Amino acid sequence: MAEGGEGVKVAEVKDLTRIERIGAHSHIRGLGLDDALEARKVSQGMVGQVNARKAAGVILSMIREGAIAGRAVLLAGQPGTGKTAIAMGMAKALGEETPFAMMAGSEIFSMEMSKTEALTQAFRKAIGVRIKEETEIIEGEVVEIEIDRPVTSGAAPKMGKLTLKTTEMETVYDLGQKMIESLNKEKVSAGDVVTIDKASGRITKLGRSFARSRDYDAMGAQTKFVQCPEGELQKRKEVVHVVTLHEIDVINSRTQGFLALFAGDTGEIRPEVREQIDAKVAEWREEGKAEIVPGVLFIDEVHMLDIECFSFLNRALENDMAPVLVVATNRGITKIRGTNYKSPHGIPIDLLDRLLIVTTVPYTERELRLILDIRCEEEDVEMTEDAKDLLCKIGHETSLRYSIHLITAAALVAHKRKSAEVEVEDISRVYALFLDVQRSTQFMVEYQEQFMFNEVPEECGDEMDV
Amino acid sequence: MFRKGGESTSVNQGGRRKVHTTYPDGAEMIEEFDLKTDELLVRRRRGRTTLGKDTPWEYLVGEAPRTFAPDTGTLIESGANPSFTRSQDAPGSFVWRVRNLPYPKETYDVRCDHEAQQVVIRTSNKKYFKRFEVPELKLLDKKLEDAALSWDYRNFTLIVQYKKPREAVVAEIEEKKDRMQLAAKKTPEEGDVDCKQQ
Repeated sequence: MAEGGEGVKVAEVKDLTRIERIGAHSHIRGLGLDDALEARKVSQGMVGQVNARKAAGVILSMIREGAIAGRAVLLAGQPGTGKTAIAMGMAKALGEETPFAMMAGSEIFSMEMSKTEALTQAFRKAIGVRIKEETEIIEGEVVEIEIDRPVTSGAAPKMGKLTLKTTEMETVYDLGQKMIESLNKEKVSAGDVVTIDKASGRITKLGRSFARSRDYDAMGAQTKFVQCPEGELQKRKEVVHVVTLHEIDVINSRTQGFLALFAGDTGEIRPEVREQIDAKVAEWREEGKAEIVPGVLFIDEVHMLDIECFSFLNRALENDMAPVLVVATNRGITKIRGTNYKSPHGIPIDLLDRLLIVTTVPYTERELRLILDIRCEEEDVEMTEDAKDLLCKIGHETSLRYSIHLITAAALVAHKRKSAEVEVEDISRVYALFLDVQRSTQFMVEYQEQFMFNEVPEECGDEMDV
Repeated sequence: MFRKGGESTSVNQGGRRKVHTTYPDGAEMIEEFDLKTDELLVRRRRGRTTLGKDTPWEYLVGEAPRTFAPDTGTLIESGANPSFTRSQDAPGSFVWRVRNLPYPKETYDVRCDHEAQQVVIRTSNKKYFKRFEVPELKLLDKKLEDAALSWDYRNFTLIVQYKKPREAVVAEIEEKKDRMQLAAKKTPEEGDVDCKQQ
């Protein structure tokens, strides 16, 4: 990128494989705990908050055991102290198998759905059922992939063909858009043995075919060789997977027959359907066909819930199918929404009493520095030590979020003056360009009169009435 | 024999008598007969997975429509491949057709796999392979017999025939009587649905 100064603009080649964008918490890969649940100083994208992380680790082992239902944890702390990061870390540490439902407190206020319905759905999204199911899959060795890119980019859809074979047969498949993308993403090439789930289009690479083992390919040490599959390409196979109770609800709540014409699409699920499914799941458990995988429901900004929701939560936590509830808030003593009562964190005392409270504390300057290091790496930005020191100081005086936001902005400024590294001058330039909260407030206080609707000074209002 | 244990309703539509059967486990079957000749044109059924999802239609007789949207779909067998269908019965035997097979006659090998109770089509050039059951035999609890199976290759089409056993013929006659009764309950007009009062 740095040598693009010839005046000729070369169109940047978009990297198709990286579909995820860099989010505020994409550097977090776990809680960063060792086997004894002690928090490592810097690990898996986590820095500091040692006590809170240890506490989260204890909760994790409680979730993994799965025996205890309906416990709730409150993460409380000032803005920008890593509450959401800890929740994300918990989700990552639990792995794919354990359901982790995440929602913001304000998500439950919808015109389509009642508040309790939204909460019930969220609860049921956090309970998984591990069950065996038969699905239709295609299993074979890739003979050829042929993807035609249309000459005019954009409008015309891509066309593709995939040829698969087994020891007995060979079939050509026409590919849809989604399939072409996932073939690209998985980097499937001729000679790979793959399984494809026909309904969802999910591809699993089983390995390379033995027949191709003599090709002089550059391959990694972990390349596995497998036999070319036998028999028909399309097979029925039993797979064990985890589905959430909510997914089973949705599957079974389609209105059938002509009644579908009258049912409004409110997105609500009838209680009879849920009862029926609970009974069915209980039956499967008794027969040993299914297992319950309790997960985690994380509600961010929990102070946005109102008094009705809190009393619903009180009751819902007593259910033996309840997941572990993790809530987070950055409020101190404030009004409970829907009432005039004040309460710590805006949560009624009776619910607070059921919560294990974990607090996060503001980061020290050293911890800030480490977080900024991690973010620079995540956002692919090179920065000199001096610039980092300055950024760290800015972070300490304003806020961590503000300093993180300056990273990419500064990188763009550095890029404009054709430097690969961000230096102090870039930081001070963006610091001058973008105001932080404090400076912005200061500015407002000084120039309030010049903004809209301040034409009439406030004291004048009373005199005019007379 | 297919409708046993289910609730059937019949409706006449577009020159076809359509019989819809639902089973207690949530499975469904749709059969379509020609109103004039009373030939079976389509028989398809689908079941439910353990979680309650409908499985895709399985065409026992007749050809499945090719529905595929390249924008949203995943993948589908290309039209250039051989296509396997069970076509209308010949007098006295079940018939399957594999169209679009360009290889010479010596390539094919069709025989019964008695262990799996399936008919197996193989090709010596390893291009086509198919295993299939005869659902009627399964329902009547009959075993496959080598002598009843025959095949021919003409016009790029492999035609496999299996001679109907006596029991299947008897069951078919009975089923036809059943069906006539179902239709005769009320003389249905075009578009009329034989619908029970709730």
